Amino acid sequence: MNSFIQLSNFPIVFKYWKLFLQGTLVTILLALCTVVIGFVLALLLALMRMSDIRPFRRLGLDKEGHMKEDGAGLAVSKFNPLSFLATAYVEILRSTPVIVQVFIIYYGVFGLIKLPAFTMFGFIKFDRFFPGVVALGMNSGAYLCEIIRSGIQSVDGGQTEAARSLGMSSGQNFRYIILPQAIKNILPAIANEFVVIIKESAITYTIGVQDIMSAVNAVKGATFIITEPLLVATAIYFCLCFPTSKLIAHFERRMSRGDKR
Amino acid sequence: MATNDNVLISVRDLKKYYKKGTIRALDGISTDINKGDVMAIIGPSGSGKSTFLRSLNLLEEPTGGEIYFDGVDITKKRVRDANGKMVKMDIDLHRQKMGMVFQHFNLFPHKTILENMTIAPVKVKHVPQAEAEEKARTLLDRVGLKGREDSYPIQLSGGQKQRVAIVRALAMEPEVMLFDEPTSALDPEMVGEVLDVMKELANEGMTMVCVTHEMGFAREVGNRVLFLADGKLVEEGSPEQIFDDPKSYRLKDFLSKVL
Repeated sequence: MNSFIQLSNFPIVFKYWKLFLQGTLVTILLALCTVVIGFVLALLLALMRMSDIRPFRRLGLDKEGHMKEDGAGLAVSKFNPLSFLATAYVEILRSTPVIVQVFIIYYGVFGLIKLPAFTMFGFIKFDRFFPGVVALGMNSGAYLCEIIRSGIQSVDGGQTEAARSLGMSSGQNFRYIILPQAIKNILPAIANEFVVIIKESAITYTIGVQDIMSAVNAVKGATFIITEPLLVATAIYFCLCFPTSKLIAHFERRMSRGDKR
Repeated sequence: MATNDNVLISVRDLKKYYKKGTIRALDGISTDINKGDVMAIIGPSGSGKSTFLRSLNLLEEPTGGEIYFDGVDITKKRVRDANGKMVKMDIDLHRQKMGMVFQHFNLFPHKTILENMTIAPVKVKHVPQAEAEEKARTLLDRVGLKGREDSYPIQLSGGQKQRVAIVRALAMEPEVMLFDEPTSALDPEMVGEVLDVMKELANEGMTMVCVTHEMGFAREVGNRVLFLADGKLVEEGSPEQIFDDPKSYRLKDFLSKVL
């Protein structure tokens, strides 16, 4: 009789513990690299979206140099190409499935650019791992961009007014006044994104990244056991994500303590 | 444009329109602010007092008119420099000379009191850190906050925060101080301590422009009072003229409600 889980299958699965261990390390490394790439990309995108670079600015000014009140010139003068590009990027990445993005990056982009085929730490295939990181990083960059943007915009407008009234430039205001306060606001959200990426990274096994899911697949192929390796994977993912999110919640509470204004 | 040497800020026909002119927060205001003036701006809420004050250092961008500060029209994007060459108007440079105090203090919560006071002098004017700190300590001592250097804003009362905000602006050694309802967000028992600091400042000859609801302060400390209503300058004069001999109906009506 076949029951849902057969305990006798577990010893067979555990013989492949090394695959699961390597898969876990790959997943963690993948998530870490993704968060770093995603954060840098997101900061860039957020700055682009909030920038005030308007090449046709002068069309919105009258002869005396004051802002016009209406007209086509004003509308054109408000056009910001950087912000437009960043917004388009974010909206496209957020409105399409991750797996499509991963395939486009792997088969499309890195089908043209040949990556060196070497292995890191003896078991990570670089030419699979790197496209995975790029695709996930590009995706999480779009989500983190919105997190960073809202974190920056959540800093009270009076802070900017105070800084600017003291003669600070908009750059100094951003660097010394806004960013330190914004980062404190968004750190928990970034850590949460890390948890999301750990789970989302399972999708990269479809392009041959040897993460936890790929270990499941290997065991399945070798032993024709399906449910039990999946349960092992479930346990590993849970052990990665649950304590991390609890830890984040703990630090979030501690940080919001002396924060009442 | 500023013909009189004594004029520090000259405002000409200042306008701020919203929604294509259907809302006129400022509707053509002209006045001169002289060196040493303590100007009180009064008026009903929505009269444009705060907008006027915030326009003076361009926190609010006017729709029309001119503001001459040190002889430069700061409402223009490009101005003629001393050599007659057209250069970009650097508002940061002018803001350094205009201290501003806000209704809600706007201290930097992630910085200590001392850091709040030294960041602008050090980063903007490149004053050496030690010198800036020494000046900050002297200023804190003057407003009775000695020993609070290492506190964070959150640890201070409203009145203390506002006094820090005042000395933070003073640390930049401004030529004029702009006060935007500095006592409106304070508990009644803390209003006095802030007004005392402002009085002392006025007595030292600081040029001050104060939007205020404290009629007693306007009368006692101010040497000129502006009454604004519906974005227009309705009456202007000495405190005696404004409070004892109001001419317009709007001002009489306003005073009957607040006094």
